[in-house]
Amino acid sequence: MENLIAANIRSRPTRTFISVLAVALGVVLMLVIGGIVSGTLNDYLGRTVAVGADFILQPAGSSVLYAFSDASLNSKLAGTMQQVSGIESVTPVLSKFSPAHFGLVFGIDLDSYNKFPGRLQMVSGRASLKGDEAIVDQILAEAKKLKPGMTMNILDHDFTITGICRSGAVVRVFLPLETLQKLLGTTDRVTVLFAKAAPNVPVEEVYQNLRKQFPHYSLLRASDPNLLLAETRLPGLKEFRIAVIAVSMLLSFMVILLAMYTTIFERTREIGILKALGASRNFIVGMILKESVMICGLGALLGICISEIIRKVVILMSPTLQVSMTFGDLLGGMVLGITAGILGALYPAYKAARMDPVKALSYE
Amino acid sequence: MEKVPSSVAINTVNLSMTYRSGKLNVPALQSVNFTVQHGEFIAIMGPSGCGKSTLLHLLGGLLQPTHGSIFIDGIDISTLSDSERTAIRRDKIGYVFQRFNLLPTLTAKGNIELAKKIHGNGALGTNGVDHILSMLGLTEKIQFRPSELSGGEQQRVAIARAVVNRPSIVLADEPTGSLDSHNSGKVLEMLRELNVKLGQTIVMITHDADAASTASRVIEMKDGQILSPTFHFALSHSLREAAENP
Repeated sequence: MENLIAANIRSRPTRTFISVLAVALGVVLMLVIGGIVSGTLNDYLGRTVAVGADFILQPAGSSVLYAFSDASLNSKLAGTMQQVSGIESVTPVLSKFSPAHFGLVFGIDLDSYNKFPGRLQMVSGRASLKGDEAIVDQILAEAKKLKPGMTMNILDHDFTITGICRSGAVVRVFLPLETLQKLLGTTDRVTVLFAKAAPNVPVEEVYQNLRKQFPHYSLLRASDPNLLLAETRLPGLKEFRIAVIAVSMLLSFMVILLAMYTTIFERTREIGILKALGASRNFIVGMILKESVMICGLGALLGICISEIIRKVVILMSPTLQVSMTFGDLLGGMVLGITAGILGALYPAYKAARMDPVKALSYE
Repeated sequence: MEKVPSSVAINTVNLSMTYRSGKLNVPALQSVNFTVQHGEFIAIMGPSGCGKSTLLHLLGGLLQPTHGSIFIDGIDISTLSDSERTAIRRDKIGYVFQRFNLLPTLTAKGNIELAKKIHGNGALGTNGVDHILSMLGLTEKIQFRPSELSGGEQQRVAIARAVVNRPSIVLADEPTGSLDSHNSGKVLEMLRELNVKLGQTIVMITHDADAASTASRVIEMKDGQILSPTFHFALSHSLREAAENP
């Protein structure tokens, strides 16, 4: 049987196209913005875990997103931490956000940093961080066409690149700790201390030792990204995600509401005919909702395709930016589109079902 | 309560309908009483504004009367809820309109099958649909959209749609009102054929005296009242006047 819903969608191509596009836009908004946030965060947390530390010590109330933290930890605490029973190695790190490459730079003590499993693995140049020297990772080097020996301006200061390290390190730019401390005017201050437990000592036991030694500090277990995400404070992240989803949903909802509301007035006479043929209110509500779900389903699919294209383009144009789109995210996009479609069509469907058939039949 | 014999398709008792227009009550029907037997083909005639369309809408359950009762196959639909009247309309009534009222986005076949879908599985199988399409001369036109059909063809599709579920009653609201005399003749011939071959009860509103003469009985209306409840194969002077000056 020829489908009335499909026929209605086909017969109003402009309305269908605009509605599908608007729903797609909502889905793109959710997937791309959410994807950039999740991708960047997951990538960052993954690389933090890749340092290979078991513990991260920060001042109380700090975030693992070091861009939100200042340098308020005394670097002498590294020595105190090293004395805690079960600790094998400790490395202090000063972090600073660099607008030039839109990312964090780490001031590190290369010798102690390289005692961790996630030590900098050089792919070219040499591993040296003294004075005005810098090490960058492969992705940034490729994106900015950097090579060892070249000069790079970081935080209004020129650094000579000594080497390129393998990507996957916690940040993409490493500077000497002392140089960064001088640049920021925070001598003897660091942002975070990474610590590793000695082999054959239970990590939980070492954690309890650290907890006793540093009761007023933030102490995170850094063994996996999910644990890190659960334990850390990410200010406003949940609210931001909810806001993005709400805006996307509102956009799709309003477009569908307007499109279906206009459609039922345009089709007043048709609704009268259906009623005269004996169509129940449920039949008419179902017809409007199915039409809306079909439009929104198409919009969501289009949105997913566009988002995937945008993801690929973003990664191609800006390799340091990560966009994460899991199967769950895509499913979420479909659910968002279809839910917005159902909600947006409910009122028009109710209006259509309640129409007076005699008035509808005489509608010009 | 008055018992309605099973041979009666439609029976109205003191049927009245008053519309509200601002602060005014406008009476459209006043104490209308008439009966239609199963298998009858009746025409309702009268001048514009005499309440013919209101009567048809009441019979189809599209309107709720202000007073009185309407029995369709013995069921008093004036006491039923909107959804119950919809169910009666779906199961027992087929509509044919002056302006055809086909859904423009569907083909002729799509329009007919939509009526089957609304009804449920439809009372007729594929053969039954084909028989009706063939009877109405529509076999060649089933894949055409309404805009690709002539007025006469559209009305034939509308008739097919009205009868596809084998309703016991077909209500036709000036079915020839938008057609030329040639197509009017064809449509009337088909209604007559459906009445004779399928035994369908037909209630037709018309301004056209020739169209009314196709019916087995004519009911004359004026000012919301029935003037002559049983008027067989002959038209009164007032009816001819109404037909000539609609």
